[in-house]
Amino acid sequence: MAGLHIDKINKSYGPARVLADIDLSIVDGEFVVLVGPSGCGKSTLLRMIAGLDAPTSGDIFIGNRLVNALAPAERKIAMVFQSYALYPHMDVRKNMTFGLKFTGVEPSERERRVAEAARMLRLEDLLGRYPRDLSGGQRQRVAIGRAIVREPDVFLFDEPLSNLDAALRVSTRVEIARLHRLLGATMVYVTHDQIEAMTLADRIVVMNQGQIEQVGKPLELYYTPANLFVAGFIGSPAMNFFPAEVESIEGDKVRAKGPTIARVTLPAGSLTRGSKLTIGVRPEHLTAGAPGDFSTTGAVELVERLGEASYAHVRRADDKLMVAEIRGRDTPAPGQTVTFSAPAEDVHVFDEAGRRL
Amino acid sequence: MLNQPARSLGVHIILIAYSALALGPILLVVMNSFKARNAIFGAPLAPPNATTFSLVGYAKVFKASLIGTYFANSLIVTLVSMFLVLLFGAMAAWALTEYKFRGSTALALFLSIGIMVPIRLGSVAILKMMRAAGLNDTLTALILVYVAQGLPMSIFILSEFVQQIPKDLRDAARCDGVPETRIFFEVIAPLLRPAIATVAVFTIVPIWNDLWFPLILTSSDSTHTITLGVQQFLGQYITDWNSVLAALSMAILPVVAIYVIFSRQLISGLTAGAVK
Amino acid sequence: MRGSFAKRTMAEPLSQVVASMPRGRFLALMALFLGPAVAIYTLFSIYPLIATMALSTYTTDSSGAYQFVGLVNFVTLLTDAVWSKPFWNAAWNNLVFFAVHMLVQNPIGIALAGLLSLPGLKLKSLYRTVIFLPTMLSVVIVGFSWNLILSPLWGVAEGALKAVGLGSWFAPWLGLPSTALVTLALISVWQFVGIPMMLIYAALLNIPDELIDAARVDGLGHFRIFWHIKLPLVLPTIGLVSILTFVGNFNAFDLIYTVKGALAGPNFASDILGTFFYRTFFGFQLQLGNPTMGAAVATVMFFIILAGVCLYLFIVQRRLRRYAF
Repeated sequence: MAGLHIDKINKSYGPARVLADIDLSIVDGEFVVLVGPSGCGKSTLLRMIAGLDAPTSGDIFIGNRLVNALAPAERKIAMVFQSYALYPHMDVRKNMTFGLKFTGVEPSERERRVAEAARMLRLEDLLGRYPRDLSGGQRQRVAIGRAIVREPDVFLFDEPLSNLDAALRVSTRVEIARLHRLLGATMVYVTHDQIEAMTLADRIVVMNQGQIEQVGKPLELYYTPANLFVAGFIGSPAMNFFPAEVESIEGDKVRAKGPTIARVTLPAGSLTRGSKLTIGVRPEHLTAGAPGDFSTTGAVELVERLGEASYAHVRRADDKLMVAEIRGRDTPAPGQTVTFSAPAEDVHVFDEAGRRL
Repeated sequence: MLNQPARSLGVHIILIAYSALALGPILLVVMNSFKARNAIFGAPLAPPNATTFSLVGYAKVFKASLIGTYFANSLIVTLVSMFLVLLFGAMAAWALTEYKFRGSTALALFLSIGIMVPIRLGSVAILKMMRAAGLNDTLTALILVYVAQGLPMSIFILSEFVQQIPKDLRDAARCDGVPETRIFFEVIAPLLRPAIATVAVFTIVPIWNDLWFPLILTSSDSTHTITLGVQQFLGQYITDWNSVLAALSMAILPVVAIYVIFSRQLISGLTAGAVK
Repeated sequence: MRGSFAKRTMAEPLSQVVASMPRGRFLALMALFLGPAVAIYTLFSIYPLIATMALSTYTTDSSGAYQFVGLVNFVTLLTDAVWSKPFWNAAWNNLVFFAVHMLVQNPIGIALAGLLSLPGLKLKSLYRTVIFLPTMLSVVIVGFSWNLILSPLWGVAEGALKAVGLGSWFAPWLGLPSTALVTLALISVWQFVGIPMMLIYAALLNIPDELIDAARVDGLGHFRIFWHIKLPLVLPTIGLVSILTFVGNFNAFDLIYTVKGALAGPNFASDILGTFFYRTFFGFQLQLGNPTMGAAVATVMFFIILAGVCLYLFIVQRRLRRYAF
């Protein structure tokens, strides 16, 4: 078992910079999820930890070992791939033992490990089958089993659930969480799916354009996003943003007004009159009708009914659309003009540079 | 769907007619090889029957030529060449696709020259070299030339197949600690099996059917391949129609048999190796 | 072809695996994987080509010793009537041989591929197998079989023509100077029509069904769909087939040698560069073989093929647009 330390990792392909000065420390036994839109560099970072890609500069430590010059096999890592990457011409047992053959594990020990992993993942009946005869979920379990038998210090997962259907994704997600509790190993998990990130992670690393935007516990990211990107990325449907300007400061209260907002009262900060702001409110925090510290008015264009809630798409005064979540059976009709409001604690304020205030 | 039956019928008539044109001459030769001389000339289009059936041509071919030896030579040359072309071709295709190093693109270009430039044009020097090396009139000389001839195309085709193998597989193998050579021989090579049919169409067939190199590189009867052996036999016995037809049939039938057995794989190999 | 394997879309940097390998071990690995292929190919394909070209600048004197003469052999070949007459004859015949393939083999191949790719056609794999069969046979076998069939001695061809009322059309085509070459070319077409058919058929199969469905919804019939949609989309394959035909034809030898012998009769009417090269190099009847002149002929053939390939790669292929589906 070991922690992981990443120090000033850079990666460029010619002039294109894929990763810029990434620093990250992961403690032993932690489950860390790297999340971000496609092309943000999260998979590249994972492949560098695995030793499949080389950083342009920077150091990677696993445990206390500098592993920059080590081949993947020497890093005591195991990786689970999006495509499962099972050897198609080997049965399940061979898939799991194939790598052990080359790392000096005795045959009896190999058998013991396979038996244990198979029991843990309920693969006992599948050991003689070939990958082509397995369902997607079974293949994914075999891929995880192949990682387990290596008894690695660090497990690396590269979008392991994206090829599964929705139902299987949920059950496999639960399985991975259970495995993490059981093995207590360090796990680094890459996904573009924020629900996977929120449900699995001890800590989430949000990445964008080759940089880390924020590192934090799932609820920290949800309640106190560090910047506009994280605020917009975490949460579904995404947070609504409103441009605003500081109108007056009275003691510790700030009033801000924008083209779409009637009135907003905020705790004072280092703001002056006329400062440009962005106000963010999540759809689930907007309430129709009731008065609040923040309120805005618009015409309902479309209502999407999901059952447990409905999403009202509302045309704001500045002609942009915002989304409000409405609980219960009472949904506004399209064309209706509605005022939505939110309490001050659910209102996020960002400065001109997009940083949280 | 061809909605009008008449048009569908028209298409079938054209295709049947062309198929008859393709198959007719071959059938005619094979059919007449089983007939007595009088029947060959008397009724060339009639199939052999009880009175006209004769194997006299075949008996003569076996007696007057080393057809068995020719056949064995062709088999050895073709199979050994194919094995080496596949092995060396797959290894090179993997290395050129997987490992980038300074000069790898130039090397790939160098290897692709042979796709377009026929090796035959170097015959003068090949013959000199083989004589100097004492390989003149040996099957080894033929094999070396055929391997050199087959490699560029096979590297080209196999590279396409290598690129279709998911990159995750070799990454997984590396994470598993599999050494680089083993990654090729135990993970990649077994997955290239479907490529064999395609490589076969482009390398085995020209080798089996080649006349040129046996003609210039082999001089004694015992090293002739079936193509050269039959060619020489035909030249010698040109007026003996029974023998000529029998020799032709004996060269045709094994190829047709193998072709019919493997036609599905060969044709799918050909269409897979083709080209947009 | 789908982009030569030499072409890389993006220069991928060295993988970590290669980077973390000691240099010596990486070199050993590359030597293991590339060594055998590069060695055999270089030794028995590229070196002989270069050596042949080098040899074409020498001549042998009466004692048999080699002497460097520069381009004299080429001047002799192209200007000295003893050499230039048969050379230009063979070159011209080769061009005719190629023209027949382009005008007959490729259109028939395209037509057959078009018919075979009609949706819902039954028995297509049987037709495909049968029509491709002659391609699998040795040119020697094919040449000889047709030699027999067209022979007036056997009378099969004459009989067949009589049966359809065209008996008077028959002539010993292979024996007449005016028809021998075209007849041989047509035999070759008969054998190899399967190659354009299969390559174009494969290309036609790659066209997505939705595209054809869309055209049918637009009201186009099968022929118009073929002419206006499928054919333009497979033009790159037709280009490829043309260059393969070119290389094959200017390198041909087996068929003419089998049917007409090294002398490519009657009276050299069917002589092409391949047979001319063979006679020059190995000699025939009373004339001795001449390796240095043979090398010169091979070099000229090399440059003809090279010119064709370059024309294709740098002009034809660039103009033919490839469409990604």
